[in-house]
Amino acid sequence: MCDQTFVAATFGPCESCGNASPLMNIYIKTDPINYCSFCVEMMACEGLQRGETLATLKTESQSLKKRLDEERNKLNDVELHQVAEKVEVLGALSIKTKRVLKGHGNKVLCMDWCKDKRRLVSSSQDGKVIVWDAFTLNKEHGVTLPCTWVMACAYAPSGCAVACGGLDNKCSVFPLSLDKNENLSAKKKSVAMHTNYLSGCTFTNSDMQILTSSGDGTCALWDVESGQLLQSFHGHTADVLSLDLAPSETGNTFVSGGCDKKANVWDMRSGQNIQSFENHESDINCVKYYPSGDAFASASDDATCRFYDLRADREVAVYQKDSVIFGASSVDFSMSGRLLFAGYNDYTINVWDVLKGSRVSILYGHENRISRVRVSPDGTALCSASWDNTLRIWA
Amino acid sequence: MKDSIANNSTASISQARKAVEQLKMEACMDRIKVSKAAADLMAYCDAHIREDPLIMPVPASENPFREKKFFCTIL
Repeated sequence: MCDQTFVAATFGPCESCGNASPLMNIYIKTDPINYCSFCVEMMACEGLQRGETLATLKTESQSLKKRLDEERNKLNDVELHQVAEKVEVLGALSIKTKRVLKGHGNKVLCMDWCKDKRRLVSSSQDGKVIVWDAFTLNKEHGVTLPCTWVMACAYAPSGCAVACGGLDNKCSVFPLSLDKNENLSAKKKSVAMHTNYLSGCTFTNSDMQILTSSGDGTCALWDVESGQLLQSFHGHTADVLSLDLAPSETGNTFVSGGCDKKANVWDMRSGQNIQSFENHESDINCVKYYPSGDAFASASDDATCRFYDLRADREVAVYQKDSVIFGASSVDFSMSGRLLFAGYNDYTINVWDVLKGSRVSILYGHENRISRVRVSPDGTALCSASWDNTLRIWA
Repeated sequence: MKDSIANNSTASISQARKAVEQLKMEACMDRIKVSKAAADLMAYCDAHIREDPLIMPVPASENPFREKKFFCTIL
């Protein structure tokens, strides 16, 4: 069971009984209520007296789930790969390793590209975060965090800061300076605080806000300057392993995937869970939006990657093969959305044709499991991070 | 002891109620047919495939990762 961030965040007089005690900050139809835990229980019992029992609620939720499935199936008039039969088959891809970035002393867990298409940041198990220039293989900055297993790192849209976090349960932001001698650790700013490990972080469209996902089962939106929690997202019943922001500038949604096998789509302003998909048979390790923002893909420990369309509200493709038996840890789309790069625990990257559902190519080279794959912002290269302590650039 | 039992049932009731609310909300969503969604995805791919450097390779001079670097100069 995971512990959730919303238990007893503040202390003060209860709005219902007036006693000073740890308050549960809960929301009733978006109105914040600060009751002590005893009054919350009393409130929940009131519902019980109105004739609802656990059994009736359970049967109601079962019937609603069935109705939801029926509604979704009504619109399933054709499969994606059938519609895609008239699309031209892709020619042979000539993607090879063009750079190998060596320098980490231990497993590389995460990486992110900078918007300038040449820099990238990577983080590893030994606590080191390195900023590289991918063209020249130069290491531009290096920070050592006091914790190990830095599972998440992200580059700010301006290119002036990086955010990272992991087993320290928080997300820290480091402004990058041009002065090589400056100690970056001194300027560290702790932005997010969770009650369990940080699994993913990303800046929103500006440097001012960060979205984080955590092993405590929640996602949260933070203001970088003040460190204040702007919105929290509750709904997952187990660790959240990954999140991705919708691509458009006006988009206010993000998708998250977790160990409860669910992929949830959230509205950032209201904190509401808009859509939920439960198709995988094991933990979802990574979720990524399709470039148009109307669909997303997920990678899971059940050795499949799945593709979901948001407007049709269902899974439209499964990328699997009998010969692929190891879990997939990371996915990313090429710039047109035609290719899906998926990194697996069998040390390979499989390239899938998104529309036809077939595997186009396999990229070999890493000597341990792939932890992250990311296509560069202009689509010219793919970077993969691996437990073999290296990152590879493929083009 | 009684409190913990009450705690468990109220927690699971509130969870079950939350699940029912969530499902009710999801059931009301406007959905489109898969054929339309698939057509839109294909149209997007088609429109952008020519600009995709990993599918339609750009000449080596324009792709900074593909250009051949010469480390020795001939004197």
